[in-house]
Amino acid sequence: MSIVSKEAIILKLVERLRHHGSWCGETHVQKGTYLLQEMMKVPIGFDFILYKHGPFSFDLKDELTEMRADFLLGWQERPDPYRDSLVVAPLGEGLLHMESSGVKRYEGQIEFIAEIINNKGIKDLEKIATAFYVRNTCGKISLDDQAKKLHEFKPHITEEEARQAVREIDGIVGTVSRMG
Amino acid sequence: MRAKTDHEIRDPIHIFVHMNSDERRVLDSRPVQRLRHIHQLGMTNLIYPGATHSRFEHAIGTMEVASRIYDIVTDEKNRRSNFSISGTFDREYWKRVVRIAALLHDIGHPPFSHASEHLFKPEWDHERMTSEIIRSGCLDHLCKDLKVHVDDVALLAVGPGREKKGVVSNLKAILSEIVISDSFGADRIDYLLRDSYHSGVAYGRFDHYRLIETLRILPKEYEGSDEPALGVESGGLQSAEALLLARYFMFSQLYFHPIRRIYDIHLTDFLHAILPGGTFPTDIDEYICLTDNEIMTEMYRAYRDPEHPAHEHATRIMERKHFKMLYSRNPIDSAKAPEAGKAIFDAACDHFGKENVRYDIHVQKGSDVTFPVLEMDDRVLASRDISEVLGKLPVVKIETVYIEPGLEEDAKDWLHREQEGIIEAKVLRK
Repeated sequence: MSIVSKEAIILKLVERLRHHGSWCGETHVQKGTYLLQEMMKVPIGFDFILYKHGPFSFDLKDELTEMRADFLLGWQERPDPYRDSLVVAPLGEGLLHMESSGVKRYEGQIEFIAEIINNKGIKDLEKIATAFYVRNTCGKISLDDQAKKLHEFKPHITEEEARQAVREIDGIVGTVSRMG
Repeated sequence: MRAKTDHEIRDPIHIFVHMNSDERRVLDSRPVQRLRHIHQLGMTNLIYPGATHSRFEHAIGTMEVASRIYDIVTDEKNRRSNFSISGTFDREYWKRVVRIAALLHDIGHPPFSHASEHLFKPEWDHERMTSEIIRSGCLDHLCKDLKVHVDDVALLAVGPGREKKGVVSNLKAILSEIVISDSFGADRIDYLLRDSYHSGVAYGRFDHYRLIETLRILPKEYEGSDEPALGVESGGLQSAEALLLARYFMFSQLYFHPIRRIYDIHLTDFLHAILPGGTFPTDIDEYICLTDNEIMTEMYRAYRDPEHPAHEHATRIMERKHFKMLYSRNPIDSAKAPEAGKAIFDAACDHFGKENVRYDIHVQKGSDVTFPVLEMDDRVLASRDISEVLGKLPVVKIETVYIEPGLEEDAKDWLHREQEGIIEAKVLRK
């Protein structure tokens, strides 16, 4: 996928997250992009490792920095108690328009992920994204073992929280497979 | 008389740096000694004559700063967050790892540091080379003597992003932040202070003593998360702001200086012409034989010999006949068309010939300005939310088109006539 196509998908994700009222910080974009790529099989091609708040891509982080430098994305300051929010800048809207036919192909997947994560806080994002990481990388193990693994990787997430996250991801994956 | 086991090195930035005999053996190893002959700032001394310092002194300085940070943030009285994944935290072991990782973090740099980074083979860069050298026969036995695991050293030296290992524990994530983080890594603290000192550019200075004293490992409560990160007590926020401002100014004034950058390009052209296959070797023994000295020797030879394949590139550097700046990125053009610079480069190549035009683009990476701040009332807030400065720091991106000096006047006239039309064709419209 070309850089411009990748940028258009990221911009669309930001646009849909904001449409659903999301705070839309950088963590939302990191975890949303991870789920788009690994769960929804959108071929964006970032490398993710289990790092800050779960799956994290250094390449994506650099890409977001570059998109800010290119005036495609911007920060919107918000009054207390809200945190600053990523927004599609006017030039980003232009790029989205230019790439609209390419983005259209993945609109369903982007919308699905935006609906799932838009209202989640950072800890919940970390829990479900890490739960999917465990499911995706640790082979066929029971939900209980997935929860234990999640707690082992992220000890600040309790075992009970891990079990809830694993169950939530199991439900989401079920929905995705029914969608085909 | 007993052999000395504690050694001190004088340093212009940190005054004295101490190390034990095992660490000194690592310092004396070939890969680290090689850094004496790698300029920290490539050919920057052609513009800032004082900037002749080496990666060697930066490596020693980074070790010292990393050690100071480690002592502060892992001191029991300063610890607020349990950051060990397994419950036990071996403070002495990890101190040895942090210090050696900091000392070794740059050993994979090619001659002239970042200037020649493009000449690695595909899938290679200086960080991968660092990691490979640490694991090689040159150093792995010294790591064993120090009783540190070579994988731990490599992870902390190049960071989890480069190692691409699946899972990074909270502990290792924090420790790698101490060495090379985007916000307060020892690497960054040392290079800003050292480059500023040697180049005479004062922008790089900040109160690093205050900053280091106030660094803490803190949970990101402001995100509703208990994940620990490197942050500061509120009293250190201004020092942290000063560091990030220093970085912004050093990038915009020194590291991205357009004449400095064109010398990097001429050097790359020269190296491309003299290296077998136009790239650096990946064999470690062969690679560590390459320093600035070998390259400069060849450059003098090429300069004196008009038949040498790199004669023209050598002459540009030796006689300071570098290409001249024709166009540089500006906010007005970029806000119309992000690809304005590339479009001008392509058009200039068509008009003046590819061999007479050069193009440079670079973005300042790692511009993270959000970190936890411990308030007096024990709350942990986000730096972006309480600092009036950090949220407004721009990302430095440069994009420059250069032209052969003999064509400068013609090219300027041409650009004056054509610029608007070239950019207009690339404008993104809603």
